Amino acid sequence: MSPNEVAAEPTEALAVGERPSAGRHTLALFLSELRLVFGRARTQVGLGVLAAVPLLIGVAIKIAGSDSGAEGFIGQIAGNGLFLIVASLGLSLPFFLPTAVTVISGESLAGEASLGTLRNLLTAPAGRSRLLAAKMVALAVFCLAATMTIWISGLIVGFILFPVGDVLLLSGSTVSLGEGLLRALGIAVVISLSLLGLAGIGLFVSSLTSTPLAAMAATFGTFIVLGILTAIPQLHAIHPWLLIYRWQSFADLLRDPPYWHEIGRNLLLQGGYLVVFYAAAWAKITSRDIT
Amino acid sequence: MTSAPIVTHGLTKRFHGGQVAVDAVDLEVPAGSVFGFLGPNGSGKTTTIRMLLGLIAPTSGEVELLGEPMPKAHLRVLPRVGALVEGPAFYPFWTGQANLLRFDAADRTADPKTRKARAGEALERVGLSNAAGKKVRAYSLGMRQRLAIAVGLMQRRELLVLDEPTNGLDPQGTREVRHLIQELARDGTTVFTSTHLLAEVEQVCTHAAVMSRGKLLRQSTVEDLRAELRPRLVVRTPDAGTAAETLQGLGVTDLKTSGETVEGDPGELPIEKFAAALVAADVRIHGFGLERPSLEDAFVALTGEGFDVAE
Amino acid sequence: MGVAQRSRRWLVPVTAVAVIAGVGTLGPVVADASPKLPGISAQDLLAKVQTAKVDGLSGTVRSDADLGLPAIPGAPAGSEQLTEMLSGQHTARVAFASPDKARVSVLDNQAERVWTTDGKSAWAYDSSRREAVKLTVPEHKTTKPEKAVPSYDPQAVAKQFLDAIDPTTKVEVSGTEKVAGRDAYKLRLVPKTDKTTVGSVTLAIDSKTWVPLDVTVMPRTGNDPALEVGFSTVSFDVPAASTFTFTPPQGVKVTDKKVPSQDRPKRVAPKQVEPKQVEPKQVEPKQLKPGTAKAGEPTVIGEGWESVAMIRGAQTAQLTGNGPLAQLLAKAPTVSGTWGKGKVLTSRMVSALITDDGRVFVGLVTPDTLQAAAAKAPR
Ligand SMILES: Nc1ncnc2c1ncn2[C@@H]1O[C@H](COP(=O)(O)OP(=O)(O)O)[C@@H](O)[C@H]1O
Ligand SMILES: [Mg+2]
Repeated sequence: MSPNEVAAEPTEALAVGERPSAGRHTLALFLSELRLVFGRARTQVGLGVLAAVPLLIGVAIKIAGSDSGAEGFIGQIAGNGLFLIVASLGLSLPFFLPTAVTVISGESLAGEASLGTLRNLLTAPAGRSRLLAAKMVALAVFCLAATMTIWISGLIVGFILFPVGDVLLLSGSTVSLGEGLLRALGIAVVISLSLLGLAGIGLFVSSLTSTPLAAMAATFGTFIVLGILTAIPQLHAIHPWLLIYRWQSFADLLRDPPYWHEIGRNLLLQGGYLVVFYAAAWAKITSRDIT
Repeated sequence: MTSAPIVTHGLTKRFHGGQVAVDAVDLEVPAGSVFGFLGPNGSGKTTTIRMLLGLIAPTSGEVELLGEPMPKAHLRVLPRVGALVEGPAFYPFWTGQANLLRFDAADRTADPKTRKARAGEALERVGLSNAAGKKVRAYSLGMRQRLAIAVGLMQRRELLVLDEPTNGLDPQGTREVRHLIQELARDGTTVFTSTHLLAEVEQVCTHAAVMSRGKLLRQSTVEDLRAELRPRLVVRTPDAGTAAETLQGLGVTDLKTSGETVEGDPGELPIEKFAAALVAADVRIHGFGLERPSLEDAFVALTGEGFDVAE
Repeated sequence: MGVAQRSRRWLVPVTAVAVIAGVGTLGPVVADASPKLPGISAQDLLAKVQTAKVDGLSGTVRSDADLGLPAIPGAPAGSEQLTEMLSGQHTARVAFASPDKARVSVLDNQAERVWTTDGKSAWAYDSSRREAVKLTVPEHKTTKPEKAVPSYDPQAVAKQFLDAIDPTTKVEVSGTEKVAGRDAYKLRLVPKTDKTTVGSVTLAIDSKTWVPLDVTVMPRTGNDPALEVGFSTVSFDVPAASTFTFTPPQGVKVTDKKVPSQDRPKRVAPKQVEPKQVEPKQVEPKQLKPGTAKAGEPTVIGEGWESVAMIRGAQTAQLTGNGPLAQLLAKAPTVSGTWGKGKVLTSRMVSALITDDGRVFVGLVTPDTLQAAAAKAPR
């Protein structure tokens, strides 16, 4: 190597270091993350299954006839297709939605670790905290996409298969179809926010391991245990602290006027879970050896 | 900025099991060099590279990359460093190009406007243009290795850290990668490349460091490394016994006889003296000469062992 | 980055847990801190309660009961709603407007039960069945439930009341508290007898309107309330008239019921404790004689805290089967006396004696008191 080559090198390094675009494109990782989550066949199949829920319920009710006499929102579908949205969201909440969130959140960090792409991202450098934030944002967007998929599918199927009109609220009064749709939209949003606590748990578990399946199993196991604890009456003292204790409160949006207290409590609790587990995931991922 | 892009002081990594994978390594990689990081499998090369790049935390010791402390300054430093660690890793369900775009997007200093163009150039450079739209799932190991190098080529870098870049490549691919490394070095990029292949270091590296069982045994220019070894006198003859006796008489030390080959350290005597003496002793000479030692010999001399997997 | 520095990161989630748990458990306590109010005697407080006059209010009432009540066998139909309200947590929205408008909606899980009257007609609506029952209330005096007492002296009534309960009950103003964001006095009633399971009854009385906002019943043993019913939010603005009307929506089955012309203005919401709470005069007697509540036409034996209700003709068939109640009874101890033989069930608050001849004695009393009552009871 000649001496002038060595001399030339620092100048060039300086030029590279002063890249004009430096530090400006923080958002790109977040967009890339969304592309990763929603571009996967697995995600699309999952959303497809969720979209099928209103279809299955709608067809079943259509076949069973309008006077099936079922109680609750299911019983109202035949009279007003809008309730297909509400009933589908309600029926997806205990199992389908948590399963979907578990799969996506369990995959998030453990999936990258198992593929080895985590080290490529970190040497890019993505920054561990920023990568975690991008993962969480993508998870939150997925939660919303999941409930919105049901909302839209319920809307389409409900409007095709059943009559629609003014919406009967739980309190015995009616609101216009437009307001009913808005309230159903509110339910979708509240349910997606209700999933954030679980998403936080999943993200944390995912930060602990390099095996996505293990992360999913552990997250789902935690969810089941929380469900069982919620079902044991003797534990009522701790019930208000359990993740899914107030999940059903979304229906309070269908009262006249909406009853916000339980919804608020539920969202606060979800926020609490999210903060704690996000912080734990942060502590783990920023100190973990990436091999 | 110091002139050495990579400097480590007492770099040590003890894994949870208690095993010391890297033991007090002091590296200094000169700017503009092609630095061969040589060592058998399991000697701690990848572990060292992971610490250089801030992927794992050292148990003790310090790393300075491009003049800044790691991992503290990783967000500032790593955009200027291209890296390939422990084999290629990609999203198999995405195309090669999509993979490049994602890793580039992770770097906030990378310009999104030129991203596609830069990916195209990088693929071109590693000879993957034709496979850009193919899913990585369908790539061969060699193609993945090239793609992994392409990740490092998405931007102009001051330093390239490549962990066994020719692993899994066919001879043609290996040649291309070595050529690429030399080309990059000519453009002023410092290249730090680990390998367990001596030939690679001999062919492309200006400098080398030798790792064995976590310890850094030696670092210097490749020239110095080789020069330290004295040339050896090698005689091939059916009369090995007589030849050995004759050479011993002339003061040749460290004599070794194996089959029809006798070799030893000739000392300071000119080579023609040995030829004359052997002829005089009626030794039938099939071959005769001084052999420059290979790096492998240097390695054996340093480690006192063969080039096998440690532990 | 040293190991110590890395493990310090875990302080962040640990702190988050501590802060959230702290705010979650201590927050309500801090919010409920005792407000500063001028002192008042029990008699003055009761007198104020007598004069309490609100033209209307609305709010959310929450009840939390842990009486350990088993279903009362043989109790008349409809009382299961009472039992249900006396167990677990419930939330109801209530509204009231003078003189005769009232609405109660019990917020069930994804359902609602509504009772409402605008003075002329009354509706009961159950959202889970989507059924409405209309009751037409005859239009005359019944719409005026208030007694027209011409010379009504609240102080005298308060004194009378205190004198009347003095032999059995200690009454005191035991402090202040915040209820539904309002400053309230606490009026505590403590039974003097040890034959009851009731430890104390505490009323929280609003310091501005003198309306009771909360009732807490403590058992004789234990620190958790056996029953707490109170407002979690309350507004003393008169609710709009439309609050009390009910228009049966499409798709709802409507049943018409005529109410015989009788003086039963609150018939529409017979099972609700809450609306009656807004009528101060009814609170104390109700708490003193819980055994007399709506369980068909039971006979009441004893007085005050020691009251025991006797119900005849319990369906003993229910008791011999294999249901949960039969299993409960099988484990219950058998007792006998001059009154006969039977099984005793006890819980935190309620005791029941079920005799072999099909009588049931229930009360907020100790089992011994039950047996004493049984001995006095007519066969
Ligand atoms: N995550 C780990 N946990 C424990 N031991 C490890 C880990 N990674 C590497 N090692 C050990 O450290 C030593 C060095 O490994 P490595 O740096 O990968 O060697 P090389 O890259 O030179 O082949 C090996 O003995 C290996 O088994
Ligand atoms: Mg290696």
